[in-house]
Amino acid sequence: MDTFAALAHGMAVAVQPMNLLYALIGVFLGTAVGVLPGIGPALTVALLLPVTYKLDPGGSLIMFAGIYYGGMYGGSTTAILINTPGESASMATALEGNKMAKAGRGGPALATSAIGSFVAGTIATIGLAFLAPWLVDFAVRFGPEDYFALMCVAFVTVSATFGDSPIRGLTSLFIGLTLGLVGIDKLTGQARLAFGVPELLDGVEVTTLAVGLFAVGEALYVASRRHHTEEKLEPVRGSLWMTKEDWKRSWKPWLRGTMFGFPIGALPAGGAEIPTFLSYSTEKRLTKHPEEFGKGAIEGVAGPEAANNASAAGTLVPLLTLGLPTSATAAMMLAGFQQYGLNPGPLLFAERPDLVWGLIASLFIANCMLLVLNLPLVGLWVRLLAIPQPWLYAGILVFATMGTIAAKPSVVELSMLAGFGVLGFLMRRFDFPIAPVVVGLILGPIAESQLRRALAISLGDPMALLQSPISATLLGIALVALLAPFVLKGMGRFKANED
Amino acid sequence: MFKFPARLVGAAVALTLAAATLALAQQLELKLMAPAAPGGGWDQTARSMQQALVASGVARSVQVTNVPGAGGSVGIAQFVNSAKGDGNQLMVNGFVMVGALAMNKSPVTLEQVTPIARLTEEIQVIVVPANSPIKTAQDLATAVKADIAKVTFAGGSAGGVDHVMAALFAGAVGADAKKINYIPFSGGGESLAAILGGKVTAGISGLSEYEGQIKSGKLRAIGVTSEKRIAGSETPTFKEQGIDLVIANWRSVVAPPGITPEQRKTLSDAVEKMVKSDAWKEILKQKGWEDAYLGGDAFADFLKKETVRVTDVLKSVGLVKS
Amino acid sequence: MTSGDPVQPPRRVDRAGIVIAALLAVLAAVLVWDARGLQSTAMYGMGPEAMPVVVATGLALLAIGNFIDALRGNLPARESADPVPVVLILVGLALLIAIIGLGGGFILATSALFVTTSAAFGRRAVLVDSIIALVMSTLIYLAFDRLLTLSLPTGPLERLL
Repeated sequence: MDTFAALAHGMAVAVQPMNLLYALIGVFLGTAVGVLPGIGPALTVALLLPVTYKLDPGGSLIMFAGIYYGGMYGGSTTAILINTPGESASMATALEGNKMAKAGRGGPALATSAIGSFVAGTIATIGLAFLAPWLVDFAVRFGPEDYFALMCVAFVTVSATFGDSPIRGLTSLFIGLTLGLVGIDKLTGQARLAFGVPELLDGVEVTTLAVGLFAVGEALYVASRRHHTEEKLEPVRGSLWMTKEDWKRSWKPWLRGTMFGFPIGALPAGGAEIPTFLSYSTEKRLTKHPEEFGKGAIEGVAGPEAANNASAAGTLVPLLTLGLPTSATAAMMLAGFQQYGLNPGPLLFAERPDLVWGLIASLFIANCMLLVLNLPLVGLWVRLLAIPQPWLYAGILVFATMGTIAAKPSVVELSMLAGFGVLGFLMRRFDFPIAPVVVGLILGPIAESQLRRALAISLGDPMALLQSPISATLLGIALVALLAPFVLKGMGRFKANED
Repeated sequence: MFKFPARLVGAAVALTLAAATLALAQQLELKLMAPAAPGGGWDQTARSMQQALVASGVARSVQVTNVPGAGGSVGIAQFVNSAKGDGNQLMVNGFVMVGALAMNKSPVTLEQVTPIARLTEEIQVIVVPANSPIKTAQDLATAVKADIAKVTFAGGSAGGVDHVMAALFAGAVGADAKKINYIPFSGGGESLAAILGGKVTAGISGLSEYEGQIKSGKLRAIGVTSEKRIAGSETPTFKEQGIDLVIANWRSVVAPPGITPEQRKTLSDAVEKMVKSDAWKEILKQKGWEDAYLGGDAFADFLKKETVRVTDVLKSVGLVKS
Repeated sequence: MTSGDPVQPPRRVDRAGIVIAALLAVLAAVLVWDARGLQSTAMYGMGPEAMPVVVATGLALLAIGNFIDALRGNLPARESADPVPVVLILVGLALLIAIIGLGGGFILATSALFVTTSAAFGRRAVLVDSIIALVMSTLIYLAFDRLLTLSLPTGPLERLL
């Protein structure tokens, strides 16, 4: 099968005017629903899937691709503008993105996020088209011990979010790890730290924690120091668009983010969070403007956003080649594909090349439409920040709680949200970094269950962690990354002594 | 494949009209609880029921509410307490809830609800990697009897249908079910990687999940859990191979406690009518679900037996303290 | 964050820091206490109690670290905080939770939060804000309920719609 010819044919079909319109409608609906907090891409797709039923297979596939990309992008918009990440993968975006928005650079932040998503989505879709069968062979070789080793790498890089005191950074991380223990132990079904409250058995929801710490905590903190300075938000300071400098600082993070996102997203248990963290910490290390990190560095938005989108395309690799949904969003996409008579699996590429290439072409088109729709909207979005402060923060709080109310309307969950808000306020007040808490909540449980799976398979022999070449390599990388700063510091001191 | 008539209007209008158009004559206005988050299996079942009930004119309106948490433990508690005696409410549930209630020491049990009907079920399968020396269920049985700790099973969440099945398999071949080395994974993708990569001896899952891999020869199915061999399938059942292992992952619908016999009959009739409607059959086909309708007292009986069986197994593997 | 504002003179011993260290130690103790109730027989390899113990050890060490920092007065200087708006917002959140818990519905609950937060940020036009809040939350409710068919908590106002 000639890949290029098939792709070209798919493209030719997808660029018909009617289909472009379907793509635009899909992106619009996806964005509109995706910006609602608590409604992540998976739920967005689930809710909007019925809309596509009425169309013929080709049109609905394209609209579906548009909804999917729109939903993905919607979560980042709220992360940047009101510090309310719609899903855990947008958390890294909120770190720098919201700081940029506060400094009047919301326009460039949204733009770099949209263009970065586009670039990453395009590269990753190309990767999907040409590398999928090869990549999936590699991906299924990842066993529990290898995932554990990957988590170790991620943990080492978390220190990038620590701020200036390692003790306070570690304290935040361990609070997150503690929260990660809450709920039913995945491997034995026993409840930990649930204290007999049924709502706690499922553990702490990442979005509840992130929204509580980020959005509610921030509102409390800003309110508490209103008497110091009337913080005036300027929606636009400097250029609304990305300057030449912004472009220069963005393009490399886009590419690097894609490099993290696509392969890790293709791993059956890779997820989207780890690549966004890896990208964030890499950009922080490589940047020429380290002083801007924590105050709104554009690299910190460009990289994670690209990683997030690329990993989404990466999840299509196991989905299409193995028929395996590896995330909630992918599961919804599977439901969508089945709607169109696509039965993803090892035989799909051979049996129905027309549909596969039609889908890949649709993804391309939807990705372009995302850019077409959202770049002009950037100006409108940032105007939201011009709302007077009392209404702005009241609106943010209503929005933030609404997500929880829609997803889990229980008194316990809402109390947790409020509690995390207070925690976020206190942590800000006593200068503990916020992000490591969320990172700990996400990474802790994954690391624990993968390690325990590996040990169960090896009947408790820890050497299993070193016997797998992938795991041994990753552990080596983690060790180097952990020790390198100390060694470099030591050498610097050594040199200084020599002088 | 790719031809597009101009039907733009349909798209825009569909969103608002999808649910609200059909049927006025009936007076049933149902509330249907999915004790899980939107998007999952129970939620999809609930929303499919909503679609079929309305489309077939059985009910005038159906409102789906989601009460997620702990395998349905949170949902059933709310259902039993707040819907008591309400003849217009239903809740979706399934196999997983039986184990979840036992493991979470839930004060509310399935004995309290009024059984209405089983709707669908999925046959389970045990697979091994294509290059595994294990060819049949008996080979696996031999391996399990030789050294049970060394035979690792990959499957879904602890206490779920896959886990119960692993324990039943060990018990059926005469090994100590308490000692099975069962490794729960959070999703089919993760466990598949572990199976394909040869990290575990065997994998347990719903048949449809691994159908593609089995057909393409990457995985070998060594047995399915149906009573009789599936028409047209080459995979033998466990029963054929002399192992008494019959189990299915079922989903059902129940009503609140304390409703009158008339109310129960109305609900049962409504569900039966829905199951027989074309709309429901179309949905089953779309989603690839197996029709397993079982109504009335037969279902009540089934539910009771299944609860006893699952609880016993979970006690035997130490997940539920006896 | 602290530039240009009057800061409290640094004390030798930071009391808040000591409270934080104590809380961390308590958290570690709770983890160990909770882990003791778990049985590890259900699995090969590492049991469910191992990770809580590891985390508890880390928390205990960090409690010591934070304690030393507090004794040395190493904590960053803090500005004074105004408790009134914080309390107002917390009252708003408490109202929201109470209204939803008691079946008052989504619209009333979020409106209460909106008005108190707005007041916390210095607005005194409660009536105008209430109207804005009611209109906004009604629109949100309708969007969720009618367009997305996601059920938000209903109360007396929602039933009128």
